[in-house]
Amino acid sequence: MTAVTEGDRSPALRVRSLTKAYSGVLALDGLDLDVRAGEVHALLGGNGSGKSTAIKILAGVVTAEPGGVIEAGGQQARSDQWSPSAAHAAGLRFVHQQPAVFPALTIAENLALGAGFPTGPGGRIRWSVLHKRTAELLAEYHIPASPRTPLGALRAVDRSRVAIIRALQDRDEAGHGVLVLDEPTAALPGPEVEQLLDALRAYAAAGQTIMYVSHRLDEALSVADRVTVLRDGRKVATVSTAGLTESALIELIVGRPIDRLFPEVSQDAHDEGALSLRGVHGGPLHGVDLSVRKGEVLGIAGLLGSGRSELLRMIFGAYPMLAGSLAIDGQAYRPTSPSAAMDLGIAYVPEDRQADALFHAASVRHNLSAGQDGRYFRHLLFRHGAERRDSARSISEFLIRAQSDRQPVQTLSGGNQQKVVLARWLRQRPRLLLLDEPTQGVDVAARSEIYQLVRRATAAGSSVLLVASEMEELAHVCDRVAVLKGGRIAAVVEQPLDAHQLTDLVNTSEAAA
Amino acid sequence: MTPDTTDSGAALSVPAAEQAPGAAPAGPAAAARPGAGAVVLRLFQKYSLVVLLGLSVAIYGIFGKNPAIFLGAADIRNILSSQAVLVVLTLGLIIPMTSGSLDLSIGNIAGLCSVATAAFYAHAHVPLLVGVVLGILVGAVFGLVNGLLVVLLRVDSFIITLGTASAIFGLVIWYTGGQSIVLGIPQALLTFGGGNFLGVPDSVYVVAGFALLAWYLLEQTPYGRSLHAVGSSKAAARLVGIRVERSVFVAFVLSGASAGLAGVLLLASSGAGNPQIGQSFTLTAVAAAFLGAASFKVGQLNVLGSIVAILFLSVNITGLTFLGVQDWINQLFTGAALVVAIAFSTALHRERKHRARPAPQEPASRP
Repeated sequence: MTAVTEGDRSPALRVRSLTKAYSGVLALDGLDLDVRAGEVHALLGGNGSGKSTAIKILAGVVTAEPGGVIEAGGQQARSDQWSPSAAHAAGLRFVHQQPAVFPALTIAENLALGAGFPTGPGGRIRWSVLHKRTAELLAEYHIPASPRTPLGALRAVDRSRVAIIRALQDRDEAGHGVLVLDEPTAALPGPEVEQLLDALRAYAAAGQTIMYVSHRLDEALSVADRVTVLRDGRKVATVSTAGLTESALIELIVGRPIDRLFPEVSQDAHDEGALSLRGVHGGPLHGVDLSVRKGEVLGIAGLLGSGRSELLRMIFGAYPMLAGSLAIDGQAYRPTSPSAAMDLGIAYVPEDRQADALFHAASVRHNLSAGQDGRYFRHLLFRHGAERRDSARSISEFLIRAQSDRQPVQTLSGGNQQKVVLARWLRQRPRLLLLDEPTQGVDVAARSEIYQLVRRATAAGSSVLLVASEMEELAHVCDRVAVLKGGRIAAVVEQPLDAHQLTDLVNTSEAAA
Repeated sequence: MTPDTTDSGAALSVPAAEQAPGAAPAGPAAAARPGAGAVVLRLFQKYSLVVLLGLSVAIYGIFGKNPAIFLGAADIRNILSSQAVLVVLTLGLIIPMTSGSLDLSIGNIAGLCSVATAAFYAHAHVPLLVGVVLGILVGAVFGLVNGLLVVLLRVDSFIITLGTASAIFGLVIWYTGGQSIVLGIPQALLTFGGGNFLGVPDSVYVVAGFALLAWYLLEQTPYGRSLHAVGSSKAAARLVGIRVERSVFVAFVLSGASAGLAGVLLLASSGAGNPQIGQSFTLTAVAAAFLGAASFKVGQLNVLGSIVAILFLSVNITGLTFLGVQDWINQLFTGAALVVAIAFSTALHRERKHRARPAPQEPASRP
C-alpha cells in the first residue's frame, strides 16, 4: 500500500469509546478504532481479549453500553442504539467463523438466501434470472463453478469465497462499506489458506475495505495494512504492518516478551522404538510404516484428508485397521477399542475438542477424571476427597486457569478447555500421547503453555505423535516430522526442521499423489 | 438422601484462581462469577419446586371443602405410599434418560409384570418371594430386549420403545384376553399395601430403599458417572474409554427391572393383575423426571428432584379432585406439567450456554 497520510482517506468505520460489560465484567473497555477506506485492517488479540465482542457489537448482535459512538457509511449512531439493520444500512458486511452456508443447496440458492430469490407472478422463483445473476457474480469473483453446483461439492476455500460473495452481493458499488471477516481461515486446510488470502488481497486491490479478525499472526502480517491489537478488552495499539515482526506483534498481544513461543527441542531422545507401525492399512491409509522413538515428538505433516487424523484414531482403536501390525515397546498390539489402548498407556487428544473431548455442562473436575473415575471407587464408596485433591493438583500442574474445579468446563476459554483435555491424559503419565491439532483455536500464550506441557511429558518418558496443520508449529515443536501422502509415509525429515521445506514436501506430495 | 456434595452451588463464592499476567482470559471466566442476584436466582431455581409443593399443600389445606381430609390425604407418607409404583418407575426411567435415551415402555412393562406375577401365583402357585423375584426378572428381560434393539439397531430409543410399548401391551391383552387375574394372589402381598411398621406404610420403606439405591447408582458409582458422560457426549465418552453401548444396554435392563418391581407393587396395591392400567404411568413418569430436573441439581435429572416432582403432581391432582374437579384433571395437569418442565429446562439450558460463552465458539475443524 502506498503511504497516504491519515487526512487523505476518510475512515470507512470510526468507533469511539465502545464498552461492553458482561455481569459487571468489562469485556470491552473504551475501544477506539479507525478503519480507513480501502485498507485491510486486522484486529488481533488472545482469547478473551474482546475482539469477538467488538465484532458482535458492530454486527448489532450484542448491544454495547451507552456512551460510545459508531460511525460508518455516513451513518452515525450511539453505541447502545446500533442494530443489525443499522449495520447493514451502513454497509458493514460480516462473514463469520463458520459461515452459514448450506452444502446441500446450489451456489445460486445459497446466494439467493442472502439477497432474496427473484420472483415472477404468483411468487414463482425465476430460476433463469437467478442463475444468470449468479453466473455473473461467479465470473466477477473468479470462481470456476456453475451456479447449479451444490455448494458442498466445492473446496473449503471456495465455500468461504461464496460466503464472502453473498455478503458483498447486494452492495451498490465497490469501495463503500466494510467487509468484516471473523477468522476466515480457521476452518481451511493449510494450502487453501493462501488462496483465500490471495482472494482477499484482490478484493483489497479493487478498493474493498476489509476488517480481518484472526489468531494467525503470519496471515495478518502478510495481508493487512494495519493491525489493531486488543488485550483484556482494551486497545493496546494500532500499528502499520510495515516493518512489524511477528515477535513484536506477539509481545503486543501477550503484554510481555515470550522468548520461546515454542520450547527447546530435546536432543536426548532415546533411540528405542516406543511405537512402530508396519504396513498399516485402513480408510485413507495404504501401508504406513513408522517408528516413534521413546521420548520424542514425532510430527505428522499432511494435508487435510491425507489420513493423518485417521492414523491417530486407528492407533487409539477408534477407527478400523484393516491390515498391518503395531508394536508398543516391542510388544505386538492390535488396536480394538479406546479402553484397550488406554490400558496400554495410550492417550488421545482429538482434533475437535468441542464434539469429541469435552463434557460441556460437567465440571472441570468431572472432565478431568472422565473415564478413569473407577480409580476413586473403593469398597463400594466413591472417594470424592481423593478426586478433589487430584483435580486441584492437576489444575495447578497443568496451568489451567479456572475459578474452581466445580466450574462447568464450558465456561473456560478455549485454551483452558484444551489444557483440561490434555491434563485428563497427562495426569496418567501415558507411554504414548496422540495429539491431533492440539492448539487449534487457542491463543498464542496458551499455545506456548500447551507445548511446554507436552515437552514436560516427553521429558518424563512419554512419546508423542503430533498432527498439526501449521508447518511452522511442526518445525518448532517436533524432533522429527513424517510426511504423510497418498496413504503412506513419503518422507521423514530430521533436524534441523524448516517450515518451508515441510510446506514444499507436503505440497509436492499432493502433486505426486 | 444426602444433599449432593459435588455439584451444588458450583460457582458460589470460590475465590478466583490467581491469573498469570497477560495470559488471562478475562472475558468468559470472569463473566461466570455470579453477582448476588444470580445467587438468589440459582437458589430460587434449585428450590422452586419444593416451594411450589409447600404452597400447593397450604392452598388445598385452606381452601379445600374438607381441609382435614385433604391434609390427611396429603400426608407425605400416604402420598409416597400411594405413589410407590410411580416413584419406582420414574427412578428406573431416569437411569436410561441420564445416558440420553428414553424408555417409553416402562408403564407397559410394569403392567405386564403385574399380570405375569399374578399368573405365577394363580397358575404355578409359586411362593411369595419367588413371585416377586420372577416379576422383577420378567421386567429385566423386556428391558434387555429394549437395550439390545436400541444398541444393535442404533435407532433412536424413543421410537424403539414406543414400538415395544405397544407390542408388550398387545402381548398382555393376548395372554389375558383383556381380563384381570384376581384369584390366587397371596394374602401377604395384598396386605403389604395396607400394612405399616412404626406408623410408616410398608411400601414407603421399599420406595425409600429403592430411591437410595438409585441415587447411589447414579451419583456414587463409576457406572453412574459413565451414564452422565454418555448423556453429555457419546463421542467424547467413547474416546475416554467408556463402553458406550454397554452402558446404555445395562441402563435399559435396569429400567426394565425397575418396571418389574413397579409391576409387583402395582399388583400388591390393586390386588389384581390388571392388563389395562400399566401404560397410563409412562407419561406421568416422564413428566416427573423432567420436572425433577428443574430442581436441586438444576438441569440434571436427579433422584430427589424426581420424588419431589411426583409429590407435587400428586398433591395437585389430589387437591383439585378434592375441590371437585373431575378425573380429566389428571391427564391435563400431568401433560401441562410436562410441557412446562421441558420449556423451563430448555430455556435454562439456552440461558446457561449463552452466559457461558460471551466469546464465540472455536471453529470446529470438520470441514
